[in-house]
Amino acid sequence: MIFRFWYFIRETFVSLWRNLSLTLAAILTVAISLALVGSSLLIREGADQATAQFQEGVEFIVFMNADALENQNEAIRKVLDTSPAIKEYVYVDKFAAYEEFRELFVDKPELVESVTPEIMPPSYRIVPSDPDADNVTELARQFSEQPGVKEVATATEAIRQIEDFSTRVSQALLLAAIVLVAVSAVLILNTVFTAISGRKTEIEVMKLVGATNWFVRIPFMLEGTIHGLMGAGLAVPALFVVDSKVLAYFQESEAVPLFRGFAVPDGFVWNTSIWILVIGAAIGMIGSAFAVTRYLDA
Amino acid sequence: MIRFETVTKTYKGEVVALREASAEIQKGEFVFLVGPSGSGKSTFIRLINREEVPDAGKILVAGKDVSSLSSWKVPYLRRNIGYVFQDYKLLPKKTVTENVAFALEVIGRPRPIIKRQVPAILELVGLSRKADRLPEELSGGEQQRVSIARAFVNRPLILLADEPTGNLDPATSVGIMRLLDRINRSGTTVVMATHDRGIVDTMRRRVIELDRGMLVRDESRGVYE
Repeated sequence: MIFRFWYFIRETFVSLWRNLSLTLAAILTVAISLALVGSSLLIREGADQATAQFQEGVEFIVFMNADALENQNEAIRKVLDTSPAIKEYVYVDKFAAYEEFRELFVDKPELVESVTPEIMPPSYRIVPSDPDADNVTELARQFSEQPGVKEVATATEAIRQIEDFSTRVSQALLLAAIVLVAVSAVLILNTVFTAISGRKTEIEVMKLVGATNWFVRIPFMLEGTIHGLMGAGLAVPALFVVDSKVLAYFQESEAVPLFRGFAVPDGFVWNTSIWILVIGAAIGMIGSAFAVTRYLDA
Repeated sequence: MIRFETVTKTYKGEVVALREASAEIQKGEFVFLVGPSGSGKSTFIRLINREEVPDAGKILVAGKDVSSLSSWKVPYLRRNIGYVFQDYKLLPKKTVTENVAFALEVIGRPRPIIKRQVPAILELVGLSRKADRLPEELSGGEQQRVSIARAFVNRPLILLADEPTGNLDPATSVGIMRLLDRINRSGTTVVMATHDRGIVDTMRRRVIELDRGMLVRDESRGVYE
């Protein structure tokens, strides 16, 4: 059995080496397509994280100054409690805000250390009776004129920005990725097919002396799987670069404050990496299985 | 050892390769298949090792019906059948030893057995001194000997040969026939398709003649025509 194992490994790598240019093309295509799949997933996750505050019907958030006076807060609360335009609201004090911040940036302790509960702005997360965009904009304008209010972030505006951005980018990436995944499967199919054609006599002899079908197939299936895995192996570091450079760029962006929440937990990047490896292996296996069933078993 | 019971084989439902052919070949026999090109000789051979499946009739090899054999069992059938080609089909990048060892490697024989059997078979076919040569460094006759060594190294019950002397000059062919005769005398059943009148007439073994798919003659100690 050990001997067979080495036989398969040897045959597979001899074949990979023999078709080096095709092999490299297949690996790079897999790498690029999977890097795009991964980036698309990261951006989606980032958008989910960034818009986390706006869940369960919250349409706008009134951020108070960190040093807002108690009577300023009371004035706001009075309006919220009495106005028929407000369905419900949640008050997030500076400690709760700090907790949330810590959770959001659990991977970036230096960022968490740079703030204290004292400087966090307390906020009101508000669910209006009428979630219509114009109505929300008008309410937001009214609140922003109140004393002690730092800024008002409306979901309609903020979420639209982020979701528009992330949907467009991640859909474009995903579309490109799907095309490239198909291309890479076909490339792998072709590479394996080339490997099969290059060894026609060998395969014929193997079959006639009584090698089992699996014995003939395995080196070719392995070859395709290795293409997929190696491509995925290159895509994984690319994901970490996207996480640490591209997403970090948004987090530091001053132009769009809400993008600062555009963070992806490290665990998510690792999980995505595992998926990328699984998808890579699957592409390779599917591509080579097609080649094997079409050209080998026939 | 091999029994054809009214076997019919057509290609694409039109070209008749074999029509209701029946024959029985005993263990240890040496049989020539003769007939013009396209008469069905190759089909006859390819049916024995299940490269082809008959449209009708039954083919028994070593007591098993190979026409209804499930495909995963086919490799195990073929381990009992050696196969010699007209064009040798040696692997150009492997040495003589490696070419022969290959047949044992791919059916999972342990290395010590391979190390023992390969030199023994090369001795038998008279190529011990050329064990490390590549096929391109050998003459046609020598290449065919390697091919026979590869077919016989696993000591099959049956040896099938499709025009094994087709590419060789008469003198070299005689050497190949001596070798096949020796293998036959060790108890292996040999079925050989050939066009070579001289060989058939000299050997005087059983002759089965095919003509357009029909089995037209079956003589023990026959001649070409």
